[in-house]
Amino acid sequence: MSSETMALSPHAVETQSLAERLHGWATTVDHKRIGVMYIGFALIFLVIGGIEAIIMRIQLALPNNDFVSPQVFNRMFTMHGTTMIFFVAMPIMFGFGNYTVPLLVGTRDMAFPRLNAFSFWLTAFGALLMYFSFVGGFGLYGAGSAPDVGWFAYAPLTSKVFSPGHSSDFWSLGLIVSGFGSIGTSVNMITTIVCSRCPGMTLNKMPLFAWMNIVMSGMVLFAISPLTAAQIMISLDRYLGAHFFDTQAGGSAVIWMHFFWIFGHPEVYILIIPSFGFISEIVPVFSRKPIFGYPIMVGATVAIGFISFSVWAHHMFTVGMNSWGNTFFAITTMAVGVPTGIKIFNWLGTIWGGKIQFKTPMLFSLAFLFQFLIAGLTGIMLSSTPFNWQLSGSYFVVAHFHYVIVGGILFAVFGGFYYWYPKITGKMLSERLGKLHFWLFVIGFHLTFDFMHIPGLLGMPRRIYTYEAGRGWEIWNQIVSVGALFQGVAVLIFVFNMIWSYWKGKDAGCDPWDAWTLEWTTTSPPPEYNFATIPTVHSSRPLWDLKHPEDPDWKYE
Amino acid sequence: MSNEHRASNADRNGIVMPQPTAWPITLAFGFMLLMAGLVTNAAVSVLGAILMVAGCVGWFRDVLPHEKHVVIPCEIVEAVPAQTQRAQVKVFDLAPEHARAFLPITYYPISAGIKGGLAGSVAMAVLAVAYGVIKQGSIWYPINLLSAAIYSQSIQFGTESLKTFHLNSFLVACVIHLITSLLVGLLYGAMLPMIPRRPILLGGIIAPILWSGLLYTALGIINPLLDKKIDWLWFVISQFGFGIVAGLVVSRQDKVFTQQNIPFALRAGIEVPGAMRERIGGSSPDEDGRR
Amino acid sequence: MSSTTLTPPLTPPPIETPWVLPSRGKVGMFSLIAAESAIFTIFVVAYVFYIGKSISGPTPREVLELPIFNTVCLLSSSLTIHFALGALKKGNRAVFTAFWALTIALGAIFLFGTAREWHHLIYDKGLTIQTNLFGTTYYSLVGLHAFHVTVGLFGLSLVLAFALLGWVKQEHYGRVDVLSLYWHFVDVVWIVVFFVVYVAGR
Repeated sequence: MSSETMALSPHAVETQSLAERLHGWATTVDHKRIGVMYIGFALIFLVIGGIEAIIMRIQLALPNNDFVSPQVFNRMFTMHGTTMIFFVAMPIMFGFGNYTVPLLVGTRDMAFPRLNAFSFWLTAFGALLMYFSFVGGFGLYGAGSAPDVGWFAYAPLTSKVFSPGHSSDFWSLGLIVSGFGSIGTSVNMITTIVCSRCPGMTLNKMPLFAWMNIVMSGMVLFAISPLTAAQIMISLDRYLGAHFFDTQAGGSAVIWMHFFWIFGHPEVYILIIPSFGFISEIVPVFSRKPIFGYPIMVGATVAIGFISFSVWAHHMFTVGMNSWGNTFFAITTMAVGVPTGIKIFNWLGTIWGGKIQFKTPMLFSLAFLFQFLIAGLTGIMLSSTPFNWQLSGSYFVVAHFHYVIVGGILFAVFGGFYYWYPKITGKMLSERLGKLHFWLFVIGFHLTFDFMHIPGLLGMPRRIYTYEAGRGWEIWNQIVSVGALFQGVAVLIFVFNMIWSYWKGKDAGCDPWDAWTLEWTTTSPPPEYNFATIPTVHSSRPLWDLKHPEDPDWKYE
Repeated sequence: MSNEHRASNADRNGIVMPQPTAWPITLAFGFMLLMAGLVTNAAVSVLGAILMVAGCVGWFRDVLPHEKHVVIPCEIVEAVPAQTQRAQVKVFDLAPEHARAFLPITYYPISAGIKGGLAGSVAMAVLAVAYGVIKQGSIWYPINLLSAAIYSQSIQFGTESLKTFHLNSFLVACVIHLITSLLVGLLYGAMLPMIPRRPILLGGIIAPILWSGLLYTALGIINPLLDKKIDWLWFVISQFGFGIVAGLVVSRQDKVFTQQNIPFALRAGIEVPGAMRERIGGSSPDEDGRR
Repeated sequence: MSSTTLTPPLTPPPIETPWVLPSRGKVGMFSLIAAESAIFTIFVVAYVFYIGKSISGPTPREVLELPIFNTVCLLSSSLTIHFALGALKKGNRAVFTAFWALTIALGAIFLFGTAREWHHLIYDKGLTIQTNLFGTTYYSLVGLHAFHVTVGLFGLSLVLAFALLGWVKQEHYGRVDVLSLYWHFVDVVWIVVFFVVYVAGR
């Protein structure tokens, strides 16, 4: 050992002062602690973004309401969208990826531990920078102005003329900073999965969650980079007087839409593919059967990854492309439904005939399957160009993508929480509270987002600040707002459950779910080095092999 | 057997892990300040740049010339043998050539779905064209309408124009019809074994009614132009035609055994000597495991 | 229901040894290059999209000259870095240092050439990033590339300093090789930029 080496006792942690502990978290390069920080960061912003959503729902609950001013409303929907995508959904996926992937592939840390810390802090500081605009931003309406250009910030709204001051700059600079963080984590994730698998873990024995993460990370490289490039262009326009999106000088506002959506649509899949990973880990364990059609699942994931890069302009049917452009993007959009459908059938095939255990993670996964299917179907409806012309920019679209993001992604994430919380903390989450959380959230979700389709069909545009009475929208908006409160209460129960269980929960032991992947071979929480000895695997269910030595999987793989 | 582990690469006293370091957070904070200076004050950017330089240098010295490490003490204990509360595995008897399988053991082959879809598409096309001839006096009427679902030019046709031949519309309609038929056929192939009791009733009649009802209620709002031109009775009839024919064709195909436990290389048609090593040895009991 | 516990435990087949996976540095660098190429793609697309769309002059045909010498310098630096690495692999540190220094010199000449071109465009031709769409896309694309060259040169110089101090040895071949991948990438991007800006764009 070199002279820099020093020994740390694992028991030292308990005697440390608060400052020492904070220092420990700030300087850590341990993938598990970074994963926990990602998740905690995302949860904080989930609450912030949720409060923004509830403010909007209160404003829209009644016609001609003036709970907040129009300016504040614009900031709320801009920050709600941006926060939920960039500071909640992506970090939470990276957090779970960070925490579990090294455990799943049987290694001691990420490939680049310091880059890992760096990437997390970039994301966190990017979020802080953007939220600093609430106090430090100066915009159209004076000081304290957060970005108010919508989460896709269509040009020319972001030009100096329409967005004076700095509020839009906070948006683009914050996203540049956190975007580099996302790229860093993805590079790390790919490298970890490719280069750090434990002996015997060939690609076709890798847990599906790792497969989904490598596909997702690859997509981040090709999706976040265009966004970063486009943000650099906006900044050049705003600071140096360039003309990328300046229609007065011949620039094009439409090219910004292309640049944004070539990021924006793959982004949806960046979020949903790790969610597929959660489901693919949870469903087999609680059905007591291996995943049905492993190679097809991998193939379908990769196919989704590729196809999702050719569908972006379905966000732009109303912008005016030629007929063949519309037709092409309509067909590719429908085509992306094929591999997704294959996945749903594979999960159903996994559940079918299994000894199903209706624990909380499984409940969330089952709800995911159902809701994601509906979300996909409304997506297919929207991919039809004439249909889209009618409904683009309406609450139908808002309902559709919230069905994907809340009904799909968030449900999968909750499932992942209940599934891996015992591994992360060593304590079980309360099943009672978990089931209460589940049912309240399901009720709230369906109240909100099922009924949100209807004002859309009736013509209510998205992002409107208020509406007049007598259009037939009131009752639907009230139902939607009531549902939002249900969801808020459910999330509070969830937060309470996590805190309460951390102190009072049952001890989890190494393997509370009787699962089959490597993370359950080590203690809960795992030691800093994960595995005292690096494991060796012979099949895609290494723990099955250990538990059933007389009938191991590797005989058949 | 079981916990067969590779020799640990830790030394006797502990396990070598990368040392915690403050430079990544410094660098990240510096970069954020560099950007924040653009919206506040240039001095902030200067501070950020200084921090970045410090962060880079510090980080560099962390990894060069040698990565800094800490040694985490670790008593290498014998790994606890993994335990399960469900040691019993329920096993069905299965023909010897199907090594081991999990439910579902058999399913319709993909070709069954394709055949069903194609057969259904013919039935649907016949019914739709019959409608065109009987009610509208032109076989092109339903074809032009179908293409209007995604091909925006077709939606602007007047009633007369709808009855004449348009190459673009025809091609688009063919593509939609074939793709949708194949996909729904595949869906039937995957779904029919899961539908309890009367699959044809559900798949051929009830599902089309539900689907048409949904479309009927929604289309009036969404696309009134298209809605006015659709004869919903015939629409439902042609859906039935598809559903029943496709369902019947699918259910008449022979089910095949799933290939779950055949190695991927073999399934992909790659001949690898030794890929079947376990079974060539003949030592493995042929069984079908299910828990 | 029958239990299978009567069958004796089986010994799994041995893992293929040694268990070799790709090098971390290379995979990480290739991932980074993938992300970088996506960034460049967007700038190239913007350039191509805006060719001929400037409302006012000057146009590329009027002001741009083919930077043949610059291009030759940068592309040949890919060769010299390749030779340098070949020397390091064989353990020939003197040859390595010489070729490495040559690479840096060629890169610096390229950067100097770009600077001269910009000076010429700004002060003689009056083309800035604000002038028209051509200026906007030209300076951002070429500037982004020049920024990458600068970063690359910085990394290369650091290695040169270490080499002169005698710290770079044969066993560091892997690390240095990763850096060379980045340099090759920068060169390849230049080929694209060259054709888009100076050939197709004119």
